[in-house]
Amino acid sequence: MISGCQPNQSASNILFEEEEVGLAVNNEDLGHKNLSAYGFFTGILADLVPAKNVYPYELNTPLFSDYAQKKRFIYLPEGSIIEYHPTQVFDFPVGTILIKNFYYKDAQLTDQKGGIIETRLLIKKADEWQGLPYIWNKEQTEAVLEITGGSRVVSLLGKQSINYQIPNMGQCKDCHQMNGTLQPIGPTAGQMNRNYLDDGGRLINQLRRLSRLGLLSISEKEIFPKISVWNDPASGSIDERARAYLEMNCAHCHRREGSAKNSGLYLMSSNHDRLELGIMKTPVAAGNGSGQLAYDIVPGDPDGSIMLYRMNSTEPAVMMPELGRKMVHKEGVALIRSWIASLK
Amino acid sequence: MIRYDFLMVILGIMLGCDGVPSHDPDRNYKSIEKALLSKFILAKDSSVIQLEEGHFIFKNSLILDNKKHIILRGRGIDKTVLSFKIQENGAEGLKITNSENIVLQDFTIEDAAGDNIKVTDTKGVIFRRVKSAWTGQVNEENGAYAIYPVLCTNVLIEECEVLGASDAGIYVGQSKDVIIRNNKVYWNVAGIESENSENVAIYNNQAYNNTGGILVFDLPGLTRYGRKIKVYNNEVYDNNLMNFAPPGNIVGAVPSGTGIMVLATREVEIYKNKLENNNTIEVAAVSYALIEAINDQKSQKSNNSASSAQTYDDELPDPYYNPYPGAIYIHDNTYGDVSLFPNLSNDFGRLFFWKFGFDRPQIIWDGMESENYLLSNGSLNPDYKICIKEVGVKTAILDADNDFEDLVTDPESFNCEI
Repeated sequence: MISGCQPNQSASNILFEEEEVGLAVNNEDLGHKNLSAYGFFTGILADLVPAKNVYPYELNTPLFSDYAQKKRFIYLPEGSIIEYHPTQVFDFPVGTILIKNFYYKDAQLTDQKGGIIETRLLIKKADEWQGLPYIWNKEQTEAVLEITGGSRVVSLLGKQSINYQIPNMGQCKDCHQMNGTLQPIGPTAGQMNRNYLDDGGRLINQLRRLSRLGLLSISEKEIFPKISVWNDPASGSIDERARAYLEMNCAHCHRREGSAKNSGLYLMSSNHDRLELGIMKTPVAAGNGSGQLAYDIVPGDPDGSIMLYRMNSTEPAVMMPELGRKMVHKEGVALIRSWIASLK
Repeated sequence: MIRYDFLMVILGIMLGCDGVPSHDPDRNYKSIEKALLSKFILAKDSSVIQLEEGHFIFKNSLILDNKKHIILRGRGIDKTVLSFKIQENGAEGLKITNSENIVLQDFTIEDAAGDNIKVTDTKGVIFRRVKSAWTGQVNEENGAYAIYPVLCTNVLIEECEVLGASDAGIYVGQSKDVIIRNNKVYWNVAGIESENSENVAIYNNQAYNNTGGILVFDLPGLTRYGRKIKVYNNEVYDNNLMNFAPPGNIVGAVPSGTGIMVLATREVEIYKNKLENNNTIEVAAVSYALIEAINDQKSQKSNNSASSAQTYDDELPDPYYNPYPGAIYIHDNTYGDVSLFPNLSNDFGRLFFWKFGFDRPQIIWDGMESENYLLSNGSLNPDYKICIKEVGVKTAILDADNDFEDLVTDPESFNCEI
């Protein structure tokens, strides 16, 4: 046990005995083993053609997930409706399942064909939501429940090759958490207030559509809030788009009800308190995440701001968000850079 | 320094060639990640997760969420080892959230990218006989906290051994009703730190060879403030390690050679501790402004070339925060002789040497006064009293607000009781 003067062993050189595969865990009480068993889709499973009671939706500013594309659906039990809320996630009836498919298109990849990697389900049980990860097979014929998650090598054209991470069940709640319970993040009025191209080729507001189908409890007169589209300058100012981006990529934890409340950094777009937004705020427990910088945000100085430093990193101890990406979101970083530069 | 050599022998660990401590245990790793992850995910309330003997290595954090009455038990320190040396995802090694009555005992955990064990939003957590460490030479790349309960109530940390944290070894943040006892903490920046926590008893610990032994801190802008802290019967010695915290973190401002430091916290009692050879200062009570000033100077200067556009509500940062220490009672501690070798690695060490030579004080207050320091009748506001009842120690008020001009030694104002 005598220490030498050698440098520390680098992590990539560490050898270890691999785990035996073929772990048999019966998860039948969690959910179906196969995604197809839910009957969300008709025809070829990978075509994701929604079956009865399954409704597609999109968000204005989604979470960045290593440039993966996402197709989202809501399954609603026959005859039930969603309770509208202007600022919070809608109140969904018991039995609702939110379905999020993560895929890459052929054109995004090099030496690889595109395809669906994973499907995450959020299931509304009697008293709580539950998250379940399903991993697609190579043949794209089925996705199987894998509570411990997994990974896939993905080679992005013009970018890099990454070990794409499919989260384990325990990690769902890292992001999907409000006051300690698992909650959806995306389906709010502001996020869903956007036009959707329906089967007939018509543009229709998503919320109006759900309402006309009798699935959302609102009057025709309801005026919906709207969150900017982070990368569409026509949808809002830099400030509005940056705040939309921070809300979706950070505020699921960095809010008073979130898992990072101990940091005192609250990034919901409804917040306008300078200190809580990180402006000239010293970090609380950042460790190496500080990047030798003193403040979360220094107005006018993006490179002097811890926020940008952490968004620009892929090191586990430094990067923000902590999970859900293996790459830096260059376009997102550019937006936050302009925003911090514009602050005073 | 006899004790230091003795320790190195009993721990079987030696200083690296350049004098930086290094912890290099033999390891023979095996992966049980998916099997253990499944157990964590599927654990039923009121169950035991037994970890066998062996060295187990993980790529992902182990997360235990929303469980009640779980015991996570190994086969003993250094017998069961959980290593996160190859961590790819998540910053914490073990992460426990939104739970009740969790017991973690009898294992070693090491080398998480961020914190080794973080427990948050949990009512009732016991850390017992856990060794939490970073291997290799201590350096700023090590994770921040070795044992880190935050936003918890009913916390017991006992008989743990903690080393290598680049921030605090045992760090209790924003928690209530906490006992930290019979632990051994060394080679961390802060050995033990209580931050913004209430009803905390820190006793019978050994804190040595850290940058600072025991810290009691209160910071602005958090979910709760700290008060009612007792620090007693601890052995706090040789805390002269260089400060290796990444700049930008508040503990980066703690001078190497600090025994016990109280920052901006009130209702703190420090007694019956054995303080020895903390060669900058044995006990210090300081205000937030002082620490912030040191930190500002240490971290990268930022240019404030603000240009156009967006502004936000310019409120005072945290109007409820009180940046001054007070209601502090320091008594019946024992102190070793003031070291002949002053610590010249930091501004305080240099200041003390310059002002006092070899006759340096053991206890100081920075002298920064709240505007309410005196009551309207001219008497001292009890909220800001600092009382010292010790035998044969030198004390000082630094007058930090005034460039240390009117520095006072053994002031009459310390002669009080709480």
